[in-house]
Amino acid sequence: MNGLRLAGVLFAKDLRIAARSREVIGFMVLFAILCVLVFAFGFLREGASADEFVPGVLWVTLLFSGTVGLLRLFGPEEEGGTLELVATSHAGAWPLFLAKAGLQLLFTGIVTAVVLPLTLIFFQATLQGAGALILALVLGLAGTTLVGTLCAGLLIGVRMREVLLPLVLYPTVAPLLIAGVKTTALCLSGAPIEEASTWLLLMAVFDAVFAALAPWLHGRALGI
Amino acid sequence: MTRARLAARQLAWAAGPRYVLLDLALALKGGEFVVLSGANGSGKTTLMRLLGGRMRATGGTIALDDAPLPTLDPGYVGRRIGWLGHKPGLYLDLTARENVVLFARIAGAAVSSAEVDELLDTVGLRRADRDRPVRQFSRGMQQRAGLARVMATSADVWLFDEPTTGLDHDGRAMLLQVLRDRADAGIAILVASHNHEVINVADRHLHLVDGRLQDAA
Repeated sequence: MNGLRLAGVLFAKDLRIAARSREVIGFMVLFAILCVLVFAFGFLREGASADEFVPGVLWVTLLFSGTVGLLRLFGPEEEGGTLELVATSHAGAWPLFLAKAGLQLLFTGIVTAVVLPLTLIFFQATLQGAGALILALVLGLAGTTLVGTLCAGLLIGVRMREVLLPLVLYPTVAPLLIAGVKTTALCLSGAPIEEASTWLLLMAVFDAVFAALAPWLHGRALGI
Repeated sequence: MTRARLAARQLAWAAGPRYVLLDLALALKGGEFVVLSGANGSGKTTLMRLLGGRMRATGGTIALDDAPLPTLDPGYVGRRIGWLGHKPGLYLDLTARENVVLFARIAGAAVSSAEVDELLDTVGLRRADRDRPVRQFSRGMQQRAGLARVMATSADVWLFDEPTTGLDHDGRAMLLQVLRDRADAGIAILVASHNHEVINVADRHLHLVDGRLQDAA
């Protein structure tokens, strides 16, 4: 079996486990909804422009709820002691990384599908440039997933990782967060998509660098 | 003279300034069933993990068919060495059957449904239990499923750390039969255990004292 097929087998396994427990995706969605509500209660006031808050609320909510998923991403491997068995497959550790990143991307995608309309409704914002925003979300989620999966893999078995994961992840993905917020603000203001191109390019470069580095670093971290 | 399938020479491992294993030598041949005993904290699990390539030694060499372990592809080592440790090496939310199929596929071995049933018959997992998530199993049942997981691969070196944990009398008898049969079929087996039933069935008994191996026979 080649590495890609193995990644597919491992992804299908993770989906099956996720479908049986339904805990992780359930908590992620619930946490994301709660975040939007808390931000709405905290920021919304008479006369304030909701558009001002939507970009930040959207991206911070996605980052926070994504962290909930990352903390449990390697849980099935840790519980049953299967990490080394899977990571030392004939293809190396990268199929495991790919499968885990795929699962995290799927979960954050589902959360985004809930959070985006919810945020727009709560803050009564109107989206002017959906194309650029969707592109920014795809690039942003891909980047945070790559870095997040890497960080979650690095912190397997580490004490206080619930605290350490955000401490490592958030500063690393700060460029994505800034670019995502800027692009979203431009989309809400109805500015031409060209104005967001620099930010989108930055996100694409960030993703390309981590797509090349993260699977390799993940293997090195596991000693493989 | 038959060459060793798995061999350690001048092996050393230190935890800080304290050497747990020092100048240790071991040769495990194909078809040989060796049991390793030692006091708590003597370094049995450390030695097993080093031999399985799960830890790096402080000094000395470990070779698989004369090739130093660190020079080999980890995937190749993973395929050659079957591991059963303190945890069963199973996905707890998958069934016993799904686990066996999954790990066989990961190891690059194709197993049919009939072969999976045969393996699960051998380890004594009842048909009614095979399609239940492993999380619902007792420790002994998880250990049986873990054994089936190793048997489904093509590993020709088995490293088992305290495999009798949680097994009842019938389970231990089954395990010993499997170990004896597989050793006779050519697999090199090293089992860390204090269990006298295991020691009695093994070809050789090594005792770990002060970081070195002594022939207990």
